[in-house]
Amino acid sequence: MKTLLSILLLLPLVGLAQSSAKLNKVISKLNTVKDYSVDVEVKADIPMIKILPSKAKVYFKQKDKFKVVSKGIVILPKQGFSEINTFLSDKSKYMAIEGDTSKIAGVVVQLITVIPSGEDNEIILAKLWVDDSRSLIIKTQITTKSNGTVTTNYTYGDMAKFALPSKMVFEIDVKKFKLPKSVAADINQRSTEKKDDKRTKGNITVNLSNYKVNTGLSDELFKKKS
Amino acid sequence: MLRKNTYNEFVKILSKPRSFLGIGALTLLILLIIFAMKADGKSIISFVTASFEQTLSFNGHILNGYLIAFIILQMLIVHVPLLVALVTGDLISGEAAMGTIRMLATKPISRTKIVLSKFIAGAIYTLILILWMGFLAVIVSQWIFGTGDLIVLNSDGLTILQEQDILWRFGAGFMVAYLALLTVSSLSICLSAFAENSIGPIVATMAIIILFTIIGTLDVSIFDTIKPYLFTTHMASWRSFFENPVDMGTIMESVLILVVHNILLVALAIWKFNRKDITS
Amino acid sequence: MSNTIIKVQHLSKRFGTFQAVKDVSFEVNKGDVFGFLGPNGAGKSTTIRCLLSLIKADAGSLELFGKNLSSDRNEILRQTGSIIEKPDFYKYMSARKNLEVFARISGADVDASDIQNMLEFVGLGDRGPHKVGGFSHGMKQRLGIAQTLLHNPELIILDEPTTGLDPQGIIEVRNLILKLKNEQHKTILLSSHQLSEIELIANRMVIINKGVSIVEGEVAELLNSTELMVSYEVENANDLVNYLTNAKPALHFQVISDRIVEIALNKNEVPALTEELIHARIRIHAIEPKRKLEDYFMKIIAS
Repeated sequence: MKTLLSILLLLPLVGLAQSSAKLNKVISKLNTVKDYSVDVEVKADIPMIKILPSKAKVYFKQKDKFKVVSKGIVILPKQGFSEINTFLSDKSKYMAIEGDTSKIAGVVVQLITVIPSGEDNEIILAKLWVDDSRSLIIKTQITTKSNGTVTTNYTYGDMAKFALPSKMVFEIDVKKFKLPKSVAADINQRSTEKKDDKRTKGNITVNLSNYKVNTGLSDELFKKKS
Repeated sequence: MLRKNTYNEFVKILSKPRSFLGIGALTLLILLIIFAMKADGKSIISFVTASFEQTLSFNGHILNGYLIAFIILQMLIVHVPLLVALVTGDLISGEAAMGTIRMLATKPISRTKIVLSKFIAGAIYTLILILWMGFLAVIVSQWIFGTGDLIVLNSDGLTILQEQDILWRFGAGFMVAYLALLTVSSLSICLSAFAENSIGPIVATMAIIILFTIIGTLDVSIFDTIKPYLFTTHMASWRSFFENPVDMGTIMESVLILVVHNILLVALAIWKFNRKDITS
Repeated sequence: MSNTIIKVQHLSKRFGTFQAVKDVSFEVNKGDVFGFLGPNGAGKSTTIRCLLSLIKADAGSLELFGKNLSSDRNEILRQTGSIIEKPDFYKYMSARKNLEVFARISGADVDASDIQNMLEFVGLGDRGPHKVGGFSHGMKQRLGIAQTLLHNPELIILDEPTTGLDPQGIIEVRNLILKLKNEQHKTILLSSHQLSEIELIANRMVIINKGVSIVEGEVAELLNSTELMVSYEVENANDLVNYLTNAKPALHFQVISDRIVEIALNKNEVPALTEELIHARIRIHAIEPKRKLEDYFMKIIAS
């Protein structure tokens, strides 16, 4: 019964299936990358977290292997770095609806709204702004069950041919951040005089460079504990 | 004579079993914390980062020697004053209780020098205590857990300090913590000059620290004017070195207040001891 | 340098409402074993503590080695060794370590062999490495004397050095003091509440009572010039009383029991009186000089 209902609900969308071809183009481009490694520099500007720019090496392998290797501490958004690629690669799990076109930084973009079809998915809604002419994702806005909404802006450089960005800017919700008071207890309490950071959004800027694509990374690499 | 009697005072401190009690207790506590961290450190960290980790992923070697050292310092700096007072609190009164003060005060050394040499010996002991603590906390933790960036939970959020930017903070932090402990030592020596028994000054020192700490934590406006002048308010100043950027102004203010405390307390002890009729 | 080692003039000290010392004056000369005599609570300890700068005097002057105590304290203490009441040491340290500690601040160069020699001098040669915590009172007293001698001081001040010692300990300490006097020619100030002790050791003395010095001089002179109470134990006290009343009406006496009568006599009168009593057929069982300090004081005060 449930399946039937789903089919019925999906029927009106079938006519629009063609318009998700733009997304399919993007996905095929993404799929040309079987694996990659890249050096990242992360700048985090998040309320309640003070961190200097940090460097790491990121490894990715189709379809969902992902690893960050760093000497120091690197803060990345939990969702949005590679998850959207993984999510999009399985077309059976979502519906894509094309929306309006608009301009982002002078580039004409097509809004594609992606709705997951199952209920067990972490992603509730994803909005993609796609540069159709280059088949690149320019911006995403992903709403998840546990993390609120993460907006990501992509900038491309040399690796645009693989749809790999040279810069990603994440905007994340930080409303839920809380400090465990018992641990934070200073003897001197003077820090309470400081103004609380009332911002609810934080930015993480990731600069990516030195991509190595399709070098055949072994699965072993991802098994080792970082 | 000051040098000779300082040496004497130090010999006396080292001959007392209780001097090693403090170092032993410290060693045991630190090893216990290191063991606990080795066994269950990850969950202790996630207790702090839990609310962040839904949205953010923390990558890298978080549970490292620096973090352990910081946790140890944070946990123990409250208890070390007791260990300091245990030894310094009876430096003068202990001699009165034992009767040796009569021997000491009939030697060709001025009473001012007696107090100063006790203060210096107490300062050296306190230094050894904190150096040992530093060695165990920073060096031993590093052997076991390695190094890495340090996540510090300050009251205004998390601060992540880079590995190469940490050691100097520990160094400077230990120096300020030492100054705070030195104030405890001066306080107990000062009380010791007023007392005739060993245990009184030790208990009184702890009572004062507890009282001042409570006054410091109470959010009552009538205490606000005195709070900045209580030495206990500045006992955690070492922590300010782990903020980014470091607020040197506040730290220097704390250092100044602690130094003034030390000078006043030692001066008071000298004044009292010089006027004291030794009748024990 | 003048012959006077200690010169105390009109010393007074009050603790709150209690006047411990009212007016004490005396002089100790070089080479003296000087008895500082007085009953308990007379102000001996307070005076000695003032001499050693443990207590600040309210008034009066204190000169040692011709120097003023308040301005030349360290200089004076460098030449002085002392035990105040009982000697106390760091119990958790060995005898040798204790001596090392005190030697270091005594103002003299004392090496390990000096310390060993001193331990042997006081009969503790094999006790050096032992912790003082386990020492008897007598051993501590001897160690105390070793401590006073370490830096070879000119003046030694001993406050009641035999108090609390067993008879054996008293003899040992007394012999040590005599050894210091005879072999090392030290000037010694010795306080005591026992006249007999002072009589045995000292050549000069001062007697103080209720914070006031009463009499000062040569021990022999002071003791011989004053009357003793001589206790005669006889077969029948009545016979003696009758004889004394008739033949010696000038003598003061006191009947203690039916066998004992105490007679006030000068020391040099004892042989003659005893001879007379024998001639009078009074059977004498014992003759004992009674010179209680208290009695002596009473006499001095009365005179």
